[in-house]
Amino acid sequence: MTARDAKPSLTAWSLWRRNGGIWAALMLLLAASLTFAYIPMGLLTSVVGIVIAVIKASLVVLLFMELFRSKTLVHLAALSGIVFLAALFALTLADVLTRLRSG
Amino acid sequence: MSDTSGLLKEPWQRLSRQRDAGQFGIWVFLASEVLFFGALMLTYTVCRVEHMEAFAAAARETNIWYGTINTAILLTSSLTMAVASQAAASGEPFRRLILWCLLATAALGLAFLVVKGFEYKEDIEKHLVPDAHFALKQVGAQLFYGLYWLVTGVHAVHLTIGIILVLRLAFLGSLGELQLRENPELEVTGLYWHLVDIVWIFLYPLIYLPGRS
Repeated sequence: MTARDAKPSLTAWSLWRRNGGIWAALMLLLAASLTFAYIPMGLLTSVVGIVIAVIKASLVVLLFMELFRSKTLVHLAALSGIVFLAALFALTLADVLTRLRSG
Repeated sequence: MSDTSGLLKEPWQRLSRQRDAGQFGIWVFLASEVLFFGALMLTYTVCRVEHMEAFAAAARETNIWYGTINTAILLTSSLTMAVASQAAASGEPFRRLILWCLLATAALGLAFLVVKGFEYKEDIEKHLVPDAHFALKQVGAQLFYGLYWLVTGVHAVHLTIGIILVLRLAFLGSLGELQLRENPELEVTGLYWHLVDIVWIFLYPLIYLPGRS
């Protein structure tokens, strides 16, 4: 008997259990973002909504899309999207927000 | 090991290479999609900074229940897509599980579009289309709804493409024309599907949640 035979094969149940846990977490986060939207916290209310969206997206990217198990080349491709998006937001908002302040 | 020789395509000599190339290719495409939707969300952000009150008032007019139910539907479709993709990649004999998960994913995608259709109907009836009969008086509210129709429309087009891709796999798979087990096409389709879900995850707090408290 080889080591490969000894390894228990993947069952449908184990697939559902692993991914179902992530799904349950996503649903709880959805409920949380809905609840927080009705609590008056000023600007913080919007921030909480975005932060929860970032957490949800991270769960999907890292676990459903299995990015944490992917190769370095794939990490770089994914990262390039985030880096250029960050540059787009940073440069635009650096302009827009300072212009509005000065009237 | 299952026979995967039927899956190998030109110019690759090994399936593992073909899988790596497919994965890299779709991630490069997804990065470009992130910039596409990111630019629209940046436009939203700039407009919202200039018209805080109007955006809150406009967002309050959206139907939060349609939005929340649709978010739950898409998150669930990502679960069934992930199970289908991982079951295929495992190389275990999961043919029925993969087929049912693909069909469930496509059905949930269609359910999203149906709910969105009811929402669009309500929006039109409430005169939330930016035109001469627009319902809200605040300056900037039309900007919110201009972006609302544009972004949700483009998202719906993406989702429709996803549904067609998933149904194609399910259809060819059930006919036996396409081997589902260890097929890299499932993984690539799944990655696209998840991105469409992620776009909606960000649209939800931007469209439905402002102005509620």
